[in-house]
Amino acid sequence: MDQSDGLAYDQAEAANSMRERTIVENSLVVLLQGLHGQVTTVDLRDESTARGRVVNVDAYMNVRLADVLFRDRRGRVSRLEDLFITGRNVRYVHIPDNLDITDTIEKQLGKISRMRNYAGDRGSKKKKTNK
Amino acid sequence: MADEGEPQQTTNTVEEPLDLIRLSLDERIYVKMRNDRELRGRLHAYDQHLNMILGAVEETVTTVEIDEETYEELYKSTKRNIPMLFVRGDGVVLVAPPLRVG
Repeated sequence: MDQSDGLAYDQAEAANSMRERTIVENSLVVLLQGLHGQVTTVDLRDESTARGRVVNVDAYMNVRLADVLFRDRRGRVSRLEDLFITGRNVRYVHIPDNLDITDTIEKQLGKISRMRNYAGDRGSKKKKTNK
Repeated sequence: MADEGEPQQTTNTVEEPLDLIRLSLDERIYVKMRNDRELRGRLHAYDQHLNMILGAVEETVTTVEIDEETYEELYKSTKRNIPMLFVRGDGVVLVAPPLRVG
């Protein structure tokens, strides 16, 4: 049984379940997903901040960051290799200034719809490769 | 709000409260948030949860200090500027055109 995917995509990228995909396509979280690989600052609800590279953002706005500079609400700074933030605890996400929002959203939606097509073909005998 | 592949219905009539926010797209707005915060910035995008993308944002955090002797209330506000900000909708209390001072 061939387990490998013909589609080359970041395993962290598009959401896995139908439900998550629908949520993402219908909200602004799709923009946050377009930030994969970029360094941003997330302001948390409790006034602490985390600056790091975005590894993954899911439909519920749960964020995984890598190589993080974490400043707690007292101002104490610590370095964390990996940080998972629950969506509920996000207050702000700083978006890089030079990001084209419409373009990022359109590209991300494109990736998701291609994932949809690919997932739909999984049951067939022929393995199609989508772009 | 950007949509791809599906026919998008953008009517010009105001049918529900969220449509009022649509009228403010690309305009400067005032957002009151929980925890005594206010944002003033340009509305680039929003969704049904009131997640928003604001550009050229000024955030104002207001704190009240009480003088222990006189019980006077001292209001302090801290401001900061952020070029582009994604705001999670559950923190938003209200959205309005920017307040004119004076």
